Amino acid sequence: MTTPFNFQPLELPAELLTLRREVRAFLADASSEWTGRDVGHSWTGFNREFSLEVGRRGWIGMTWPKRYGGHERSGLERYVVVEEMLAVGAPVGAHWFGDRQSGPLLLRMGTEAQRERFLPLIAQGKAAFCIGLSEPDSGSDLASLRSRATRVDGGWRLNGRKVWTTNAHLCDVMIGLFRTGGPAETEKHKGLSQFLIDMRASGIDVRPIRDLTGEAHFNEVTFDDVFVPDDMLVGREGEGWAQASAELAFERSQPDRYMSCFPLLPPAMDKLQELRLDDRLAERRLGESIAEMVVMREMSLSILGQLEAGRSPGQEAALVKDLGNTYEQRMPELVRELIDAPARINPDDRLSDLLGFLTQTVPTFSLRGGTREILRGIIAKGLGLR
Amino acid sequence: MSEDMNISDILTEQIDRLFSNEITAKVWAAAEDGNFATALWQEITAMGVTSALVCESAGGAGLSWVDVEPVLRLCGRHAAPVPLGETMLAAWNLANAGLEIPEVPLAISPSVWQLDVKGRVSGIDPLIAWAPQLEYVVGVARSAGKQHICLLRIADIQAIALQTYERIPAAKLNIEHVVPVQIGDAPHIGKLGLKPHLATLRSVQMAGALDRILALCVEYGNTRVQFGKPIGKFQAIQHMIAELAGHTAAAQVAGLYACRQIATGIPADAEFGAAIAKTRLGSAATRATAIAHQVFGAIGVTDEHQLHYFTRRLWQWRAEAGSEHEWAQYLGRQAFDAGSAMLWDRLARHAAA
Repeated sequence: MTTPFNFQPLELPAELLTLRREVRAFLADASSEWTGRDVGHSWTGFNREFSLEVGRRGWIGMTWPKRYGGHERSGLERYVVVEEMLAVGAPVGAHWFGDRQSGPLLLRMGTEAQRERFLPLIAQGKAAFCIGLSEPDSGSDLASLRSRATRVDGGWRLNGRKVWTTNAHLCDVMIGLFRTGGPAETEKHKGLSQFLIDMRASGIDVRPIRDLTGEAHFNEVTFDDVFVPDDMLVGREGEGWAQASAELAFERSQPDRYMSCFPLLPPAMDKLQELRLDDRLAERRLGESIAEMVVMREMSLSILGQLEAGRSPGQEAALVKDLGNTYEQRMPELVRELIDAPARINPDDRLSDLLGFLTQTVPTFSLRGGTREILRGIIAKGLGLR
Repeated sequence: MSEDMNISDILTEQIDRLFSNEITAKVWAAAEDGNFATALWQEITAMGVTSALVCESAGGAGLSWVDVEPVLRLCGRHAAPVPLGETMLAAWNLANAGLEIPEVPLAISPSVWQLDVKGRVSGIDPLIAWAPQLEYVVGVARSAGKQHICLLRIADIQAIALQTYERIPAAKLNIEHVVPVQIGDAPHIGKLGLKPHLATLRSVQMAGALDRILALCVEYGNTRVQFGKPIGKFQAIQHMIAELAGHTAAAQVAGLYACRQIATGIPADAEFGAAIAKTRLGSAATRATAIAHQVFGAIGVTDEHQLHYFTRRLWQWRAEAGSEHEWAQYLGRQAFDAGSAMLWDRLARHAAA
C-alpha cells in the first residue's frame, strides 16, 4: 500500500516525564508576572533575563556536543522543553532562533572556529540571533533576493536591505543570505551565500517597522558597505540557498507552528466555566480543537523521529505547517464564537489582553516560514501535480 | 516482535492484492443491491485474516491493533464490501472472553445492552451494518456493574431494515429478552462497550477511503485536460488537492493513533483515542468530500464514476459509532471536568499510566 507521505509514530518515552515536570515547575514560577500580551507573544517574546535563566538550566542547545556548551541530550528531550515553553507562551524569543535554526546550521555547516565562538554563547542565552532572509522585493520568492556581498580584501562588503527581521533591534548576530554570484534575473538559486553578521558592525542601520498591534518587533535592516571578515562565511560560497532551505524544512514542522495560540485556551475555558457557558456548543468546539491538536502533535513528533533518523521529510513538514497555521489562526475566532467578548482590549483581564493581541497577530502566522500558498505548491509538487 | 511485523506485512500485502484484483465497481454495486460477496469472503477467510487479532492460544495470529491497522485501512481504501473489520473485532472480543468464534462473518454493536437476572439481553441498536445478511452480532451487556461479551443470534432479534448513505444492508435491532448463544467476561472493555472500537475501525477505514480519494484526485488532475492543459497544472486545483493531502495525512495519523491507544489495553486510552480519531476524521471527511467532488466536476457525481463509492462511505462512516460532533462533545466535557490547568497535560498525554 503506497501513500505519498510517511508519518511513522514516535512515542515519547516515559522517562521524559521527570524533565517535563522540572520544566513545568520552573515555568509555573517564572510565569507569575506575565501579562496576557506577554503570553500572546510566545516564541517571538524577547526577554534576555529569561533566556539567561533557561540557559543556566541547560535547556538551550540541549542536543549539541558538550565541547560547544551543549548538553548532549536527545532531540526528544529538547522537544519536551520546547512544547512546555510554548504551552505557557514563554518569552523564548531571545534564544529561540539561535537554538532552533542558527546553532544547528553552524553545527552542520560552520567552521570549527565559528562553532567554538558562537555555540556556547547561544547555549548560555547570551547571544541572540536573527535571520536575514526576506527583502523588500523578496518575500516567499527568496531566490529573487538582491542584497549583495562583494569580495574585498580579507572579507566581504555587504550592501542592501532586509525586512521583516524579527527582533533585529535586540539581537547580537544575524545570519543573512546575500547574493555573491550573478544577478537574480539569471542565477536565481545559484550564487547565494550565508554570513554571520555582527549586528553592531558599522554600516548597519536598524529601523523598526511598527505593526498593527502597535508594536515594532519587525525591522528593516539596511547594509551600507558593511564589512564581514572571510571567516564569517557560513558553509560554502554559493550554497546558501540549499543551506537556508534545509533550515526552513526543520522550522516548518516544530510545535511553534501550531501552538502559538494555545495559551488562549485555558483562560477561555475558565471564563466559560465561570459564566456557565461550558455547554454543548462549547464542549464540541473545545473537543474539536483538542482532537486537531493531538493529531498535529503526533505528526510533528513523527517528523522529529524522521529527522533524528537522518531523513529530511520536507513534504511532511510542509503539510504540518499548512494544517498548523490554519489551526492556530482559527483559535481567536473559536474563542469569540463561544464568549461574547466586548469590543475593547482590557489589559487587566488576561483573556481580553491575549485575545486582543492574537486577533491582530494571527494573519502573520500563515506568512512566516513560507506563505501558505507557497507551501501548498510544494505539497502539490510532491504529489506529482507539477 | 519482528516476527509479528512480518506476519502483519505479509497479510497487508496479500489483502491489498486480493482487494485490488477482486473489488470492482460491479462488486460494489452488487453488494449495494443486497448480494453478499460470498466468493470474496471465502478468499478472505482462507487467508486467516479474520482471526488476525485473536491470540495464538485461541487459534489466531495474535497481532495487535497496530499490526492490523494497515489491513483495516485497506478495507476503506478499497471500500471493501464485506464486514472484515467488524468480524476481526468481534472475533477478538469473543476470544478475549474465552468464547468460541463462529466461522462466519460477524456484526458488532456499539451499544451497551442490559443483561437481566434470567440471563436475557435487552437493548436497542440504532444501526448495525450488514445485520440483515448475517447470522450473529457481538456486543457488550451490563448487569449490576459487570460487563459481558455476548454473542446473539440475529434471527432472535427484531431487525428493521434501514437506508444508509453507503447503501450496504443495515438494520436497527430491537433486542428484547434474547438469550445469548454465548456469554463471557469482558476484560479491557470500559463503560462505553465496543463503541470506541467500532469508532476506531470506522476512523481507520475513513483514512483508507481518503487515501484512495487523494490518489483519484491526483490521477484525474494529471489526465483531465481543460483550457489546453491538465487541470492539475492550475494553481487553484493544486491548492485544493494539497489541502486534501493535509487532511488525508492527518486522517492516517489519527486512525493509527486510536489503534495505538486500544493497544495499551486501558479502556480510558481506547476511549480517548477513538474520540480524537473520530472527531478529526469527521472534519477531514467533510472537507475531503467537498474538495474531491469539486475537483472531479460533474463526472464525479455520476453513477458511472467510482468516486461516489468512497464519498458516500465517508458520509456513512463519519456518522456511525458516534459522529464527530458527539465525540468532540465527549472530549470537551472531559476537558472541562478536568479543568483548564490540566488541559495541556491531557493533550501531551504524558502523565497517563
